[in-house]
Amino acid sequence: MIQILLRPLVKSVGIVWMAATLGFLALSVLPGDAIASQLSQSGADPELIEAYRDRSGLNAPLSERYVRFFVGLVRGDMGVSLLSGEPVSDAIVRSRLPTATLALSAMLFGSAVGLLLGMADGLDVPLFAVPSSVLISLALSVPIYWSGTLAIYVFTAQLGLLPSAGAGRLSQLVLPVLVLGFHMAGGIARVMRISVREILDADYVRTARAKGLHERRVLLVHVLRVALLPVISVIALQAGFLFSGAVITESLFVRPGIGRLLLDAVIQQDYPIVMGVIVFSASVYAALSLLSDFVLRLLDPRVAL
Amino acid sequence: MLLRNLLPLSLIIALTACLPVLGERASSASDAHRIVYGLTLQPSGFDPHINRSSELGIPLRQVYDTLVYRHPETREIVSGLATEWTISEDGLVYTFRLREGVTFHDGTPFNAGAVAANLDRITAPETGSQLAVFLLGPYAGYQVIDNNTIQILLSEPYAPLLDSLAQVYLGIASPTALSQYSNNRYQFHQVGTGPFEFVEFVPGDRIVLRRNPDYAWGPEFYTPPTEQSIGEIEFRFFTDPPTRTLALESGEAQIMGELLPTDARALTGNSAIQLTPKTIPGQPLQFIMNTNRFPTDSRGVRQAIIFGANRNAIVDAVFQQFSPVAWGPLAASTLYYDPGLAGMYAHDISQAQALLAEAGFSDSDNDGYLDIGGAPLEIRVIVPPWGLIPQVAELLQDQWRTVGIRAVLEPVPTFGALLEVVESGQYNLVAFNTFGLDPVFLNEFFASDGTNNWAGFSNPEIDSLLSDARQQTDPGIRFALYARAQRLIMNEALILPIRDQVNLNASSAAITGLTFDSYGWFPLLNNVTVAG
Repeated sequence: MIQILLRPLVKSVGIVWMAATLGFLALSVLPGDAIASQLSQSGADPELIEAYRDRSGLNAPLSERYVRFFVGLVRGDMGVSLLSGEPVSDAIVRSRLPTATLALSAMLFGSAVGLLLGMADGLDVPLFAVPSSVLISLALSVPIYWSGTLAIYVFTAQLGLLPSAGAGRLSQLVLPVLVLGFHMAGGIARVMRISVREILDADYVRTARAKGLHERRVLLVHVLRVALLPVISVIALQAGFLFSGAVITESLFVRPGIGRLLLDAVIQQDYPIVMGVIVFSASVYAALSLLSDFVLRLLDPRVAL
Repeated sequence: MLLRNLLPLSLIIALTACLPVLGERASSASDAHRIVYGLTLQPSGFDPHINRSSELGIPLRQVYDTLVYRHPETREIVSGLATEWTISEDGLVYTFRLREGVTFHDGTPFNAGAVAANLDRITAPETGSQLAVFLLGPYAGYQVIDNNTIQILLSEPYAPLLDSLAQVYLGIASPTALSQYSNNRYQFHQVGTGPFEFVEFVPGDRIVLRRNPDYAWGPEFYTPPTEQSIGEIEFRFFTDPPTRTLALESGEAQIMGELLPTDARALTGNSAIQLTPKTIPGQPLQFIMNTNRFPTDSRGVRQAIIFGANRNAIVDAVFQQFSPVAWGPLAASTLYYDPGLAGMYAHDISQAQALLAEAGFSDSDNDGYLDIGGAPLEIRVIVPPWGLIPQVAELLQDQWRTVGIRAVLEPVPTFGALLEVVESGQYNLVAFNTFGLDPVFLNEFFASDGTNNWAGFSNPEIDSLLSDARQQTDPGIRFALYARAQRLIMNEALILPIRDQVNLNASSAAITGLTFDSYGWFPLLNNVTVAG
C-alpha cells in the first residue's frame, strides 16, 4: 500500500524537479537580465551594473545559484521579481485564480464539446458526422492566435455582442472560454472518435448485438462507457495544452493570469518570475496526472491498483 | 449503469462550465466620464523612482506633479510645484521656491521636507533606482533653506537638470506614504499631488485613477475641469497589437497607444476614431556602425552604406508614411536638433558604388557582391525584435544588394542578447534608439568614454563638444555645440538614421483635448473631455 502511494508521488516530485532544472539551465544560457537591461539604457557604468548583479546574486557561479534556488524552493521561497521586488509567490498567488477560472471553464466546456463531436463523428451520426469532423480538424489545425482574433473581430467589433477585454464579469469570460475550450475539444474529440471506432469493431460489441440487445443500450453501455476511458487521461494531459493556450488567450483577451505573468516576465527578462511559473505549472501538471491515474483506476478494473 | 445516458451528461458538464464564473465579481456601474486607456506592455515594476519603463509614465504623469513642467507647445520650462528658481553663477546650486497651499492626495502638506524625502529615497543605494537617480546627474545633495525653499546641489554643472526635474520619474510623492510603505509595496499605494489620484493597481489587470477634486495648483497649460471632463481612467494592457484597434472599434477602449502602422492606416477612413500620432524626441531608429571591424572601419564604406539605403521606401512600406525620415543622430522633435542635416546622404546608388570603388572594392569573383583582396564586402547586422526593426533590416538587405554589399542579418531576442553581441565586438551594424528631449544622451553613444559607444569611435573634438554642451546652461551656446557635434557624427558616417519614432495613438471621436507632453510618450489627461 505504501508503495502504491509513494511511487506516483516520487514521480510527481521528479517531474517538477526536472522541469525546474531544464528551465533553470535554459535561462542561464540566455544573455542579460532585467536589471542589466534597464540600467544600461540609463547609461549606468558597467561597474554599477556589476554591483547590482552582485547584490541580486546573479554573478554567483551556476552551481551555487542552482543549489540556492532549490534550497529556497524547499523552504517555499521562490525569490523576488527583479523589476518590481514583489515576491514571486505573491505574483503567482494573485495570478492563479483568474487562470484557474479560465482553464477550468475551458476544460469543462472543451470536454463536453469534445465528447459530443467525437461521438458524432465516431458513431457516424447522420447530419452531424461531417460538420463534426470539419470542426475537429479546425480545432486541431488552426492556431488559437488566429481563431481568437477572428472571434474578437466577429463577436466584439462587428456584432458588438460580447466584450473582448478584461476579467471580472461573466460576459468577459465567454469569448476566451469559447476559444480556448474549442481548441481543447479538438484533442479530446480525436481520441474519442478513434476510441469509439475501435470499440464498435470489437468482438464483444458484435456479441452484444447478436444477443439482441437494443442498439441504444449497446452504444451507451458497451461502447461509450469503454470508449471514455482513454479520453479521461487525455483530458488530464490537456492541462499542459490549457496552460500554453492560456498564455495566448490571456494576452489576446487582456486578462490577468499566470500565462500573462509568464509572457510579460519573459519579455522583460524577469527570470525569477519565469522560474516561479515553471515550477508552479509543472506542479499543477504533475498533480493532475496523478489525479487522472487514480480516476482511471477507479473506473477501469483492468488497471491494477 | 453509472453512465446510463452520455448525452445529457455532456450537457450537464457544459452547464457546470459556467459555475466557476459565479465567483467572479459583478460589473461596476458604467459612467460617461469614465474612460478606458489602452496601454501596451504591462510594466513589471511600477514605481517612478525605481523603475524606468515608458509605460509607467503614462498613468503616473497624471498622479504626480513635478517641480517644473515643460510646456507641451513651447517646450519652455514652466513652474510646477516650484513657482520660481535660480541657478547660481557656477551652475552648482539650484534654489527652488516652492508653491504654498499644495496637499498630497492623502492630506499631507507639500513643503521642502517632502522634496527632501523624495530626493533621499531616489538617491539611496538600497532603492536601486534604474532611471531617476541617473536623471539627477552629478547630484551632490540638498539644503532645506526654509519650509518653502530648497536647494539642490551639484558637484559639477549639469545643463539638463531642469529637464530631468520636469520628468515623471522625478515626480514628488507624499513623504507620509513613502514612510508608510516599503519600497516594494509603495507601487501599489502611490500618492502624489497631481490632477488624478491613484485608486488601485491590480498587476496584470488594471490601474484606476480618479480625479482629484482639490487640484488647484496645476501648470499654466492645465485648464480647470468642466462638466465634460473625464472623472475616472482605467488603464488596461493590450499586449497583442492587433487587439488594440479592435478594442477601439468596439468601444472597449476610448484611447489607445502604439497601434500598428498598417492598422492606423486602415483607421484613417473611420470617422468614429481619430488618430493622434506623436513623434518621440530622442534618437531616431538608427543603425550604429562599428568603426573597429572590417569593412565598416572604412569611412567610405560607411558612407556607401548610408547612400545605398532608400529610407523613403522604408518609411512608406514599413511605417505607412507615419514617420518622418531621419537624417542625423537626433529626431526632429529633440532639443537642439539641427535641421541643416536634412537630405544628407539621400539615396544615391551611383554615389554608393563610386565610394566603394574608390575604397578598392570590385566584384572579382562575379558573385554579384563586391570584395577586396579576397575578403567579401559583407556586413553583420544585429537585429532586435522590437519596433518593426526586422522588417526594416530585410528591406535594407535588398537595397544594399543592388550596390554589391552583402548584409548578414543576425536576430537577437532581447536587449540583453544585443548587449552581449555588442560586448563581443562581432558586429558591423547594430540597431538601436533611446528617448529623451535633451540630447545629453549623445554623450553615452558618441563620447570616447561613453558607456554605449558602440561605434567604437574616438574624436577629441566630438568629446569636447559633448562635454561642454552637458555643462553649458545657455540654450544658444548649447545649440551651436550640438549642431557641430551632429554634423561631425554624420561626416564620419557613424550611424545610419532611419526614421523618427512616432507613437501612433488613436481615440474615439468623442474624446477631445488629448495632448502629450514634450517627451512624447506621456499624455496630459487633465484637459481631456468626453462628449455625451
